[in-house]
Amino acid sequence: MPILKQGDCLIASVQDALSDEELRALQNDLAEQVGRHRARGVIIDVTVLDVMDSFATRTLQTIVHTTRLRGAEAVIVGIQPEVAFALVQFGLTLEGIPTALDLDGGLALLRLGASRSRSDGHE
Amino acid sequence: MTPPAPQARERARGQQPTDDGASPGRSLREEMDITKETLERRKAWLEFTQGDVERLAQVDTLVSRHADELVEQLYAHINAADGSRDGDAAPTHTKGLLEEYFLGLTKGAYDVEFVEERLRLVGGLRQRFGPDPSWYLGTYNLYLRAVGERIRAAGDELDDPRAVFESVRKVTFLDLGFAFDAYMIERERTIWRQEEELRKLSTPVLQLQDELLLLPIVGFVDTARAQQLTEQLLYAIRERRARVVVIDVTGVGAVDSRVANHIVQTVEAARLMGAAAIVTGLSAEVAQTLVRLGVDLSAVRTVGDLQGGIEEAERLLHADGPSPSLPDGRG
Repeated sequence: MPILKQGDCLIASVQDALSDEELRALQNDLAEQVGRHRARGVIIDVTVLDVMDSFATRTLQTIVHTTRLRGAEAVIVGIQPEVAFALVQFGLTLEGIPTALDLDGGLALLRLGASRSRSDGHE
Repeated sequence: MTPPAPQARERARGQQPTDDGASPGRSLREEMDITKETLERRKAWLEFTQGDVERLAQVDTLVSRHADELVEQLYAHINAADGSRDGDAAPTHTKGLLEEYFLGLTKGAYDVEFVEERLRLVGGLRQRFGPDPSWYLGTYNLYLRAVGERIRAAGDELDDPRAVFESVRKVTFLDLGFAFDAYMIERERTIWRQEEELRKLSTPVLQLQDELLLLPIVGFVDTARAQQLTEQLLYAIRERRARVVVIDVTGVGAVDSRVANHIVQTVEAARLMGAAAIVTGLSAEVAQTLVRLGVDLSAVRTVGDLQGGIEEAERLLHADGPSPSLPDGRG
């Protein structure tokens, strides 16, 4: 899956339904690239997905936590209405993971987080 | 997420009623799935045979001879019974309908095309006389009496007057059966249409400001409605790019734990789409009761009244800076 760089953010746009291996590969790629580019933010765009299971949500949670450990914040964007509905029905709320409607929303959230931490004086 | 199709006997499978109640390109007969087989079955049930067809031809001769009288008789009866109206505005038209319909009973080949034509005529009658079938059933009673009188009066002209009258009665029941189905289907369509309208009206998602939506919920909320309102809200969040939604439940009759859980799910789903939700209209007492009942409201922002909720929503919106769609993301 292509991972694009925009400023100090990395953007991973899911192209297709993700297999378990692809999810794990994404996890590894992002972990590696965050370190290499010293990225401050990661956006994972799941607009294309019309279904997400518990493995996918667990993996996303892991990605978010791992990127945090490496000094970057991650945001999931593009969860579609049907997917959001199904997720909450199954009790998969992606707790603690920042979300936004789309790419723009995700970038704004990351910038906001960054400016807040700068003004607070700590991250 | 699609509306349920109304149940009806002999209904075409998977057919949804269209907005104007008619299916373009499909006759009512086709929609009711009345085939040659169905017709034959009904005739057999009524013991309607070729003999009856021949006898009805004899009745037709009789009836045509007295056509005008018969129509006047039917018309007078309807007008007398119809005391509430100011009087028929179009007597010629009405008499024409009555003649076509009642006198047409004895003119048919009693095949599928005949049924098609009968259903078409029923539509005309319904337009003229309204949806209540009781007048129509009563008029059949009069028709039978009037034709019965003519048959008796014909005397030796007919081989077997009693059998002839039997035939008229059988075809009456045949006709009533199909007309009854048509009425049923029309009723179901109307009910379905009304339910759809009610559903749409009862959960409007309103845009208060850029990126701020209001979902006022009024009335009884069952699981079906709850799902529908959640869907509507989520689609609206995507379409209007909302970042904050206010869900007002002031108008919800009884907020029990089931309804509360639906609300919690809606809030969580909205969050997955990047929108923060504020629930307004839950009194402190109701909120406490819900918590006691085990509903987890910890993740739900609640504000007692709508105004307070909207103020809180604006605070949330502007604390996060201006719209994320601005290129340089000031804030």
